[in-house]
Amino acid sequence: MALTTSPASRNFNGARAIPQYQRTWNNLRKSFSWAWLDIVCQYRRSKIGPLWETINVLVMLTGLAVVSSAIFNSSLRDVIGYVAIGIIVWSAIGALITEGSMAFVRNTGFVTGSTLGIDLYIGRSVFKVLITFAHHLLIYVLGVVVGLIPLGFTSLLALPGIVLLFTNGFWVITTLGLICARFRDVDPIIRNLLQLAFFVTPVFWNYRTIASNRQFLVDYNLLFYFIEIIRSPLLGEIPPASHYLAVLGVTIVGYLIAWLTYRRMRAQLAFFV
Amino acid sequence: MTHVRLNQVNVRIPIYDSQGLRLLRLPFFKESRVGTNTVSRSGGVIIMHALKDISLDLAEGDRVCLIGHNGAGKTTLLRVVAGIYPPASGTVSVQGEIFALLGTSIALNSDATGYENIQLMANLYDWPKEDYAATVQDIEEFTELGEYLSLPTRIYSSGMQARLSFALATAQAPDILLIDEGIGAGDAHFQEKAQARVQNFVSRARIMLLASHSDALCRAMCTKALVLSKGEGVFFGDIEEGFKVYAALQ
Repeated sequence: MALTTSPASRNFNGARAIPQYQRTWNNLRKSFSWAWLDIVCQYRRSKIGPLWETINVLVMLTGLAVVSSAIFNSSLRDVIGYVAIGIIVWSAIGALITEGSMAFVRNTGFVTGSTLGIDLYIGRSVFKVLITFAHHLLIYVLGVVVGLIPLGFTSLLALPGIVLLFTNGFWVITTLGLICARFRDVDPIIRNLLQLAFFVTPVFWNYRTIASNRQFLVDYNLLFYFIEIIRSPLLGEIPPASHYLAVLGVTIVGYLIAWLTYRRMRAQLAFFV
Repeated sequence: MTHVRLNQVNVRIPIYDSQGLRLLRLPFFKESRVGTNTVSRSGGVIIMHALKDISLDLAEGDRVCLIGHNGAGKTTLLRVVAGIYPPASGTVSVQGEIFALLGTSIALNSDATGYENIQLMANLYDWPKEDYAATVQDIEEFTELGEYLSLPTRIYSSGMQARLSFALATAQAPDILLIDEGIGAGDAHFQEKAQARVQNFVSRARIMLLASHSDALCRAMCTKALVLSKGEGVFFGDIEEGFKVYAALQ
């Protein structure tokens, strides 16, 4: 169990002689229980805890569905399922990005004071978003019960979509966490862009209604594919393979970026926070 | 064999602060009694030379206290040993499992109760499941927090936090224990208990590094001292000698 170090290189994951996949699995399990405790505490301080966020989402989607149906001249009944799922998935995307920028800054005490690996803070952030997202799915269930959202076997196809979305959460949080810890100007910029992205991404407006000369807004918008691989199966359509390919491409490139960022910045993290 | 070896370790801490640092007049660092006096500027970043050519060789059973002025590099040294700070040059070789308790509280979630924090700690640090009940009982006895363990740790006084933190840090007897200031917050009775616990802990041939300004605590827990001044090691050896050297520095 030797842990000999040369300058600026060190095994930061603790020195255990167990296989990597097992360590990864253990760390996922550990960070899940940490996130779970965070959510439990959230419930404790207010009566309905994270469900407040679900209520926020519900209010937001109702309002936007009304606006959307008025602008695009369709009935509320037609758009509400589309808008609802769009907003629910968007809230997870937004939360992953904003959580990401705070992942290490918020854990300063642990980063500078403990030997815990940073994968635990990353996992903690991803799983917190996942558990909150699971709360929002109550809205989906409600939509199905009242008959606004269809339910069929195709709906099951949303599961791989959700897994893919949160798989991307890990690289997003690693990359943004490190960059935002070092460069504090990045966080406000990202929040700004996120706001813009919400309007240019077909979250609450239907991508089929876009003018042909603005089609690029949909085609080159990678966030759109992340929404569609969850939304279209839930609305009874099988997403085209190209959507999955786009998402897989982003996943691979994303992990590559995260790996490069990690290699470059991990050792200095304690100096940043 | 558990060991901690530092060879010619230098640590340079960059201070990223885009505003204001331009106005700092670096020569004035030499005049301050605290901190390091070697501060340089590189681009827009101020770099503190926090540790200079530190070499140290610790073997099983060594209990070392780090003494020195505020900012002399005590915590930085602990962070280097823990692998939190990378050395700018030199090598750090550590054999054995490290537990670091830097800062006053290691409560993982201050809204969670003492018991929940113990549980999470057990989970994060892979405490053996079969001994868990016994460990919790041990922590209950050591901390004497009683019903407070069922309350959120955010309401604990600093002394109570110190009790819980120290109990958690020593619950599993890591090979190498790194402790910073914080536990000084405990009352006299606690200090006695902590001392007994450390004695027991070190009798199992382990290494402890303690950074503290409390002479009593250092004497109670350690046998050796490393005296740091402005980032340099000025003495390493017997604790009483160390205090003399430190007194001469003032």
